[in-house]
Amino acid sequence: MESQKVDLFLMTHSKYFESYQIPIIREQLLLADDSKFIALQTINFKEPVMMLVVSLLGGHFGIDRFIIGDVGLGVAKLLTCGGVGIWTIVDWFLIMGRTREINYEKVMMILG
Amino acid sequence: MAVKEFIYKPDDHELEKAANSYLMSMIALMAGLPLPIINLIATFIFFLGNRKGTYFVRWHCCQALFSQATIVFVNSFCFYRTMSIIFGSAKVTNSYIAYLITVIVFNIIEFIITIQAAVYIRKGKHIEWWFFGTLAQLICKK
Repeated sequence: MESQKVDLFLMTHSKYFESYQIPIIREQLLLADDSKFIALQTINFKEPVMMLVVSLLGGHFGIDRFIIGDVGLGVAKLLTCGGVGIWTIVDWFLIMGRTREINYEKVMMILG
Repeated sequence: MAVKEFIYKPDDHELEKAANSYLMSMIALMAGLPLPIINLIATFIFFLGNRKGTYFVRWHCCQALFSQATIVFVNSFCFYRTMSIIFGSAKVTNSYIAYLITVIVFNIIEFIITIQAAVYIRKGKHIEWWFFGTLAQLICKK
């Protein structure tokens, strides 16, 4: 992939990833062929700050976990009322990192 | 409490996660009062959530966990004595009041130290507490 395209992609999507993941993604993107760029554009990235807001408002019902795709943990959180409130507090601090991790996994799945 | 050099220079995202471990334990302590066990459970869940994290993050999660474990012992006994007075036949004695004051002072000191640790770590300084730091050093694997 052209470096211009790669840099443009990283500039517009850097907020979805951890800082240490960006050089790895860049390297992988440069090695990938152009056909993967369209697939990358179709990925539905989750915004970490939005997930934090969801966690603050609906964390007790596991909505944050459902949205990012951790359905199993979401069900567990829903049934335990957010782990009697404890898990909800913990997730306020974990959810942003987990969202970035999931976004990274999505990119890596496409890039192989 | 001492500011020491860590074996490597941690990245910004590591600093954020490590500082969060202290902030989270503090918020759990505040939210869980008067129940003394909530903070320990919350810190343990946070530690589990970061078990695949970097060494720096795990190290600070360990230190926060050990400090919270100590608080639990102190607060649990105070909680038990208070419940005995409210619901049981125990009476308010001088030793109880002395213990209650000690527990309050201990909690306030722990609260201040935790805030200070969170601030320092976010700025990139590696904080090692007396006893808990050594314990974390021994238990946390690289």
